[in-house]
Amino acid sequence: MSLKNKLNRLKPHLSIGGQPEKAHHLPAPVKIDIPFRERWEQENVSPYFMDADYCLVREVKFPLSQQHGHYCFRDFLTAVDLWNNEPINHPLSAKGHQAGELFFFDTETTGLGGGVGNTIFLLGYASISGDNLILRQHILPHPGAEVPLYQSFLEKVNYKTLVTYNGKSFDWPQVKTRHTLVREHVPKLPAFGHFDLFHAAKRLWKHKLDRLKLAVVEKEVLGVERIDDLPGFLAPMIYFDFIESKQPDGMLGMIKHNEIDILSLITLYTHLTFQLCGIDALQTRAESYEVGRWFASLGEKSEAEKVLSKLTTGSDFTSYQAMFTLAFQYKKEKDWVMAQKLFLGVVDSEDERMMLESCLELAKIHEHRLIDYQLALNYCQKAVLLITQTKKPLKLSGQMTLEQLQIRLKRLERKYGKLLKKVHISPKVAK
Amino acid sequence: MKVKKSLQEILTDLKINDEFKENIVTWQTIAEKPAQTVPLPEVLHPLLRKSFNSKGIEQLYTHQKSAYEKVMEGKSIVAVTPTASGKTLCYNLPVLQTILSNPSARALYMFPTKALAQDQKSEMNEIIQAAGVDINSYTYDGDTPANIRQRVRQAGHVVITNPDMLHSAILPHHTKWVSLFENLKFVVIDELHTYRGVFGSHVANVIRRLKRICRYYGSNPVFICTSATIANPLELAQSLTEEKMYLIDNNGAPSGTKHFLFYNPPIVNKPLNIRRSATLEVRKIAGELLKNKIQTIIFARSRVRVEIILTYLQELVKNQLGAKSIMGYRGGYLPTERRKIEKGLRSGDIYGVVSTNALELGVDIGQLQVCIMTGYPGTISSAWQQAGRAGRRHGEALVIMVASSSPLDQYIIQNPGYFFNKSPETARINPDNLIILIDHMKCAAYELPFKANEKFGNVDTEELLEYLTEERVLYRNGDKWYWMNDSFPAHNISLRSASQENVIIVDQTDVANVRVIGEMDRFSAMTLLHDEAIYLHQGTQFQVEKLDWDEKKAFVREVKVDYFTDANLAVQLKVLEVDRLQAVEEAEIGFGDVSVRAMATIFKKIKFETHENIGSGPIHLPEEELHTNAAWISLNQPLAEMGHERLEQGLVGTAHALNHIAPLFVMADPQDIHVIPQVKADHNEKPTIFFYDRYPGGIGLSEKIYSGMSEVFAETEKMIQRCQCVSGCPSCIGTETVSETAKKDALKIIQSFRQPYHLSKEV
Repeated sequence: MSLKNKLNRLKPHLSIGGQPEKAHHLPAPVKIDIPFRERWEQENVSPYFMDADYCLVREVKFPLSQQHGHYCFRDFLTAVDLWNNEPINHPLSAKGHQAGELFFFDTETTGLGGGVGNTIFLLGYASISGDNLILRQHILPHPGAEVPLYQSFLEKVNYKTLVTYNGKSFDWPQVKTRHTLVREHVPKLPAFGHFDLFHAAKRLWKHKLDRLKLAVVEKEVLGVERIDDLPGFLAPMIYFDFIESKQPDGMLGMIKHNEIDILSLITLYTHLTFQLCGIDALQTRAESYEVGRWFASLGEKSEAEKVLSKLTTGSDFTSYQAMFTLAFQYKKEKDWVMAQKLFLGVVDSEDERMMLESCLELAKIHEHRLIDYQLALNYCQKAVLLITQTKKPLKLSGQMTLEQLQIRLKRLERKYGKLLKKVHISPKVAK
Repeated sequence: MKVKKSLQEILTDLKINDEFKENIVTWQTIAEKPAQTVPLPEVLHPLLRKSFNSKGIEQLYTHQKSAYEKVMEGKSIVAVTPTASGKTLCYNLPVLQTILSNPSARALYMFPTKALAQDQKSEMNEIIQAAGVDINSYTYDGDTPANIRQRVRQAGHVVITNPDMLHSAILPHHTKWVSLFENLKFVVIDELHTYRGVFGSHVANVIRRLKRICRYYGSNPVFICTSATIANPLELAQSLTEEKMYLIDNNGAPSGTKHFLFYNPPIVNKPLNIRRSATLEVRKIAGELLKNKIQTIIFARSRVRVEIILTYLQELVKNQLGAKSIMGYRGGYLPTERRKIEKGLRSGDIYGVVSTNALELGVDIGQLQVCIMTGYPGTISSAWQQAGRAGRRHGEALVIMVASSSPLDQYIIQNPGYFFNKSPETARINPDNLIILIDHMKCAAYELPFKANEKFGNVDTEELLEYLTEERVLYRNGDKWYWMNDSFPAHNISLRSASQENVIIVDQTDVANVRVIGEMDRFSAMTLLHDEAIYLHQGTQFQVEKLDWDEKKAFVREVKVDYFTDANLAVQLKVLEVDRLQAVEEAEIGFGDVSVRAMATIFKKIKFETHENIGSGPIHLPEEELHTNAAWISLNQPLAEMGHERLEQGLVGTAHALNHIAPLFVMADPQDIHVIPQVKADHNEKPTIFFYDRYPGGIGLSEKIYSGMSEVFAETEKMIQRCQCVSGCPSCIGTETVSETAKKDALKIIQSFRQPYHLSKEV
């Protein structure tokens, strides 16, 4: 039996992806004339030649007045100014950067996940240059043209900081992987700062969005509308089709998709900056709270206090959350009185977990800091009551488990009992 | 109170006690052997010398020295060493010495299991610590936490892993391992003998991929292999690595006295020649030993058998030692569970272990005094490996092999010479099996594009690359083939099992806490995890409530019943293409491609203790199809005088006997090769017996049978003739046949098959 017959017989055992059968035609030998060159040029795409090979580069300029979602690109300049002028420390801060030093970056690949064989076929980025926003996209015209692809890319990038959406764990490692394969023929990858806006979006909008894909954030937060957009998951199919047919049309759809992704990054960065600096008039209380909480977790105490204390005055759920977060911050600063005051405010909130935690914290503060065993005992009892009477059981760990609380309760009863005895013997000691 | 007996007293007991004495058919004592040593090499780094001295190593065994010298000359070696002979120094010594003089040098260690890798890391780290040198050795496997993976990739001098991890995590991400691959000086392959059959064929291809990546980064590592005793270690090492190898077999390690007993259970039914069940006999012997707190390991061939014996023994000693002092050990347990057992054995909290061959490998579990095998493990080298578990470090040891009624066991036990004198089996791999090859070609293309005229190992790639291009997996541009598919090929290819998807076993006894307790390959699942099957796990019985075949999940719930289940598999075979044919006057002997369809049909409920059949039920599972290679022999004359019925029964009996003898001649696991008879084969309408490889595409076993058919038939004939039964028994032709003439007919059939073969030989 011929090898091929054998293979066809064994086909059910071979784990080959279920792609539809199509007529097979051998790829034309690579010549330096570019298929559909005119069509490409209509779309601002021109070839970049290197040795006997080439890649395609698309370059488009946008005026700063152009609107993308709720913002125009000029607003991004305002955002960079804000960071440079306000005394706010934050991982997304562009302090010390000029607007043109940030570059907004996104890739399209032939597969999901990491791994050497997942090819990047489109490297796209945008940055401010003078009065324009310039978007460049480097396109792999066929597998094997990665030397010109990365050469043309690396010639152009002299920026300080990458701005991506989930690029820390996906796009950039994948660029590194593919670059390693051609590293002998192209310049080294420069070291960049990196703002990954995915994590920021998660912090700010997890409370209202189930999924945090860029497309969702665009639609729900940024006011970006995509018309006739090709979904990203079709990228591999479209690319495989393109390298066989060389027809630019499908690829142009993918290029457009990538363009919107990148432009949205600019809008997203602008919007995030306005949120963090508190100058977005439409900011909701919930968003404000997430900003405050973020500052608190970064240890930016004064910023956190500024944002959160404004929220504590209300009577909605957010105000309880703000009090709660702020209380922990005071606790860290050993301001027991303020901490106690704020925890006390949360004890009557509706949220069982926050109530429980506050009671525990109050019990601790009264036992160890303010030395008031009676109150400590009260709060501890209240905590135990909360756990035993709750309708839907909470997942508890550490000090908050019933066993731990009961140990605490016993100890407090002992301490309080001793105190009572002392009071009995020498009434003067009593408070 | 009864005084506990020592091993010496037990040995005496066995010699004089009628209960045992009668059944011991062979008592072989293997004398102790003194050590042969040489001084540590002069040039050894002083810190390394200090480290070894502090561990009490002042001298090397002869084989360790030879290994060291060859490797330092830049030669690849395979060292053949029995259990507990200090084989780890064969590689640790040259590797550490090299890294100390060149800190950028790297080594990759490959062990067949994670447990072994863990073991090696501890041993390696002890040496490094005692030497006080700055060498990093890490394990890299599925359990390695994400936060230290980066450190392992960049700074690990010695990376200890397993072939599966190399296949699916390291090679497909080689760009993250640049510092390893650029400086790779050594590849260590321990337990070489485990890389045979399908698994070995896969691993050979993983090594082809590894070498390809090494070439890309400009390294050319030396391979250091160690193997248990097999007939062809050099050949296996060379076909696995495709490197020129040197054999190191001057073992200088000492060994203690070993008593090797063959134990044949008494006949309980004379006319049917049925012996007492090996399982029950093992229960008796092991119970006696464990009651005397003698650390004992019991091996059984199948998972089910392990669990049954475990249940028996735990019950037997639960008042004296506590049920937890006897544990099961087998593949399919989760890693944490296995680690706990390994630790308990070392610390002595566990007296007894019941294991499948998972423990055959070199996991260091310290001294066990006795090893009991429930049935012949299938191969000579496997048996010696298991025997090596007893008395690893000097001292007297006892090994008992309890035979079952199977023809293979009875053949072995009645021919002690075969076992003690014959050289162990040959390990065979077929890296060029098309299914396996093409799977790994895909992975290789994912890792690096193929160039025109590039060879993959010894294989010319052009035709295969073209096939993959047509299948739209690769894309050709100029003289290179690029991966052009959105999948991650290594994830769909498992090195361990014929079918690519495992069935997950989900315990839903506690509705609030549903958990996964194990997994099983698809083919075994058909007969072990069907609806209503009793699945045993750590001695606990579970009943399968639902086997979701599409989702590959079996939902089980804990039960307490007094039976286990045993399922039947119906097999159909069709010849697709005849590749080779020897046609002679009386018969034809063929080899070619076949399609095998297997379907689980019914299951029986078998009562514990009595082993009687107490019920049965149907199994509703889809048919599984397998395309593979087969060898067959057909009679031109249909033995008309015998009549259809007798012919059929005779063929079934013959096949039963052949099924047990055939694996002996191809050193295959009995699971890997199957025999089925057909009264009227579809392709030639003649009475035919088929031997087929139980792996898609075949791994060369039936091909071997094709060229050695006369020997297989001759030995089978002898075995049946020697059997004491009157008209067939489980020890020769099986009990599926009921006719009085079955045994006679089987012999007659074998003779008719043998006759033409002689003719063809002479032609």
